[in-house]
Amino acid sequence: MKDLLRLRTSLSEEIETLLNEQIKVEAYSSSLYLAMSSWCNRNGYDNSAGYLERQSGEEREHMLKLFRYINDLGGKAISPEVTNIPQEFDSFKGIFELALQQEIQVTSNFNRISDRCQKANDYVTLQFLQWFLKEQIEEEYVARRILELFDIIGEEGTGRWQIDKQIPKVSYGDEGGED
Amino acid sequence: MQIKANTHLIEVFRTEAGAVYQCEASNNFILEFADRSTAFKPGNFIDFSKRLFAINLAEMLCSPAKHADLAIIMPPYCETCFLLTITEVISLQRILGGAKTILHLNSILRTSQLQFA
Ligand SMILES: [Fe+2]
Ligand SMILES: [Fe+2]
Repeated sequence: MKDLLRLRTSLSEEIETLLNEQIKVEAYSSSLYLAMSSWCNRNGYDNSAGYLERQSGEEREHMLKLFRYINDLGGKAISPEVTNIPQEFDSFKGIFELALQQEIQVTSNFNRISDRCQKANDYVTLQFLQWFLKEQIEEEYVARRILELFDIIGEEGTGRWQIDKQIPKVSYGDEGGED
Repeated sequence: MQIKANTHLIEVFRTEAGAVYQCEASNNFILEFADRSTAFKPGNFIDFSKRLFAINLAEMLCSPAKHADLAIIMPPYCETCFLLTITEVISLQRILGGAKTILHLNSILRTSQLQFA
């Protein structure tokens, strides 16, 4: 008896569903960062607005990476419906606290999906997910470093203006952070 | 039923209410239920079973709304829709659930045959 489901795709129904759910989460991140960008723009944090807009674009790329993977393997990638994007935020700092929370959530999602892949013996997808796990180290690092700026520089006086100037410069990698 | 004359059909799972076959010629699944047979491409078969298992039985039982005791599945890949009573939903779930278990077993068997061949 032929294995018709396997002929269609190497993705199990469970893994395909998990990946489609993650597509939705990445799309949500993308929209959330865009809303944050708009808030920053309205409140005079131009550099952060630019940074968050780029971040939004990156999240969309993450979404597409998952999207293409599912389709490439014969599965059915689902264009996500994204709802409930907050448009207002409590404060400049609050935005970056929320961003870190979102990244932590994403990391834990990828850990969970990886765990399911291992249990389902889907080493192909597990290998594919390595890229995202590595990316999450960077995403969380940058989000934490940005939050630290609020403590290091302080929000008083021209503090926020300074923080806004530093935010786009935060990066993970060689230069070790000082500037 | 003339469906059984097709030699490419393999019975995957059967209950007294219906059956799922797979057609080795067209690579489709065929659902035989309530005097009608419907062919599904493998992806649509999975989608159909998702829709079926997403039906909220408790809601069907408890809702006072008119026609709440009927579930409708209207997949874009089927010419007609499925209008199901609670009993039908349950028997269809048993058929598809059983079929999916057999398909899963077949998959495991094939993988291990490939490995030890
Ligand atoms: Fe992401
Ligand atoms: Fe991210």
